Amino acid sequence: MKTTIAAKSTRSGGLRLNQTTVLVTILLVLALAPIVVTDSFTLHSMIMVLFFAYMATSWNFVCGYVGQLSLGHAMFNGMGGYVSVLMFTQLGLSPWLGMLFGGVLAMVTAVLIGLPTFRLKGPYFTLTMIAFAEIVRIWIENTNEFAGIPLKGAEGLIVPNRGDDFWAFQFSTKLPYYYIILSFLAVALVATAWMERSKLGFCLKAIRGDRDAAEALGVNPTFYTSLAFAISAFMTAIGGSFYAQFFRYINPERSMGLELSIDMAVMSIIGGQGTVLGPLLGAAILTPIAEIARGEFGGGLLGLHLVVYGLALMLCVLYFPKGAIEPIRKLCLRYFGGNER
Amino acid sequence: MDAFILSYAVVNGLLQGAIYGGVALGLSLIFGVLRVVNFAHGSFLMLSLYISFWCWSLFGMDPYLSALINIPAMFALGYMVQSVIIAPLIKRESAMVVEPLSALLLTAGVFLVMDNAALMAFGPDVRALQAGYYVPTIVVGGIPISGQRLIAALAAFAVAGGISYWLRHSDMGRAIRATAQNRDAAAMSGINVSSVYAMTFGLGCSVLGLFGALIAPFLPISPAIGLAFGIKSFIVVVLGGLGSISGAIVGGIVIGVFEAVASQFVTATSASIGSLVLFILILIFRPQGIMGRA
Repeated sequence: MKTTIAAKSTRSGGLRLNQTTVLVTILLVLALAPIVVTDSFTLHSMIMVLFFAYMATSWNFVCGYVGQLSLGHAMFNGMGGYVSVLMFTQLGLSPWLGMLFGGVLAMVTAVLIGLPTFRLKGPYFTLTMIAFAEIVRIWIENTNEFAGIPLKGAEGLIVPNRGDDFWAFQFSTKLPYYYIILSFLAVALVATAWMERSKLGFCLKAIRGDRDAAEALGVNPTFYTSLAFAISAFMTAIGGSFYAQFFRYINPERSMGLELSIDMAVMSIIGGQGTVLGPLLGAAILTPIAEIARGEFGGGLLGLHLVVYGLALMLCVLYFPKGAIEPIRKLCLRYFGGNER
Repeated sequence: MDAFILSYAVVNGLLQGAIYGGVALGLSLIFGVLRVVNFAHGSFLMLSLYISFWCWSLFGMDPYLSALINIPAMFALGYMVQSVIIAPLIKRESAMVVEPLSALLLTAGVFLVMDNAALMAFGPDVRALQAGYYVPTIVVGGIPISGQRLIAALAAFAVAGGISYWLRHSDMGRAIRATAQNRDAAAMSGINVSSVYAMTFGLGCSVLGLFGALIAPFLPISPAIGLAFGIKSFIVVVLGGLGSISGAIVGGIVIGVFEAVASQFVTATSASIGSLVLFILILIFRPQGIMGRA
């Protein structure tokens, strides 16, 4: 065993790619990118790419590895956004702390939802998750006030402007937001890379392969899926708080609608679910389409980018079931050697 | 609570529920045979509503008459979606049953394309169609019953009965049932499985063509209506038992009456949340549904 690994590394010689090298390179390039990119529109688009990469990575953390398709993750995004904004406007609490409360709420919800539903197979799980997310969205959309908390229904919440204030999570330029979401993404990617090689990752993959067989081998599926689901929900909720602070406005439709859930899932699947870098690749492919459609046509061609997402999803399921990362990985293996992308 | 108002709610719930059931028939049929959850189900209904609307608005065609265009158009579209998009997946999978999630993802792709193409083409505006004549409202025991809704509700029963009969007594129906039971055994007995699949998908969608024409006269039409009806159909079909024709109608009526009666006591919003909760409970505790076999 040892000899084959040694043989492999000597064969590929000088330039050897592995997942860690690629991950560090990508993050470094992204960290230096604002030196070159100065115009506000491009920077905004890049923030959106990073935001969706972060959301897709959070989705992938549980769904990609355990092989279940959740189309309800937007509810956690909404929880994060609503909790941090409401704590800021009602209690004056900094969104940096508020987002942790949102994350914890999402975690608790995820465990409560996950316990009964993760047993369901395939489409049944997907439909249940849609139903949970729709319940939360419909309830908020039709509730103006709950127990003295002004939820403002479909109207949505506005974050009052505090100017350039770090503790209020508000900045007058886009650059701080860029670095904040980049560091969130870096943490999420490193967490995924770590999870993949930890006991949790191996157990999740065993459950994906065959739940009953994994259980027979002594893996507790309920415990591991709940743990991964809770972490995934926490990360998604943090993303929701970022979204709220970046746009300084959230409403139920945009922050917890089915469309956002579909975006997260589709990006992971097109990039390659169950891999560390797949969701990032998926977001890097798809988000620019949405941004270009928005920039070129304004509000003129509503839904254009989703038509492209739909076509890309179908092509991907039929011809690249492992996602766009698979052919790239093979190319890298051929030209650079190395073991893992 | 007044008994009269309650019976009024029950009657309206029955009508609405039968319509839900009729709309959900195709979803159940397609799942029963192909084991594919058609995420784009509502989108086919939305498209069919738009065909009825444009036939009326451009050519002044009677909405009921536009069923003659809708049904073949939806059949052709369903047939095409199955044979062009889903068939390659079924061919690739050597196992008995298609990987259910891949099929769901494919139809989710179809949903994204259809709904958003409609949004691009027609815009988000809500449109309404008004037939040139008035379908009389019948009054039974003091309770007014909308004629248009009654026609659609009766059609749901007729279509469900017709499909059940056809599945039992025609050659194609037998082939469809055989394929649903065991794809490989059916193929070995000389049944052309891919043509059966395409026919089933087409048939399931053509039912939506009929209901698009039948409910267009009293329903405001927008691109988002597809998803709303799609989710409602999932609830109905899961409640009745995925794959069961009679279950779709029963599930539809349960949901229709439940929502109509519940909205007499709580807000309509809470009633629709209630039906989602019912849906989750059924999935967790009795996934085979009310009429389905374990």
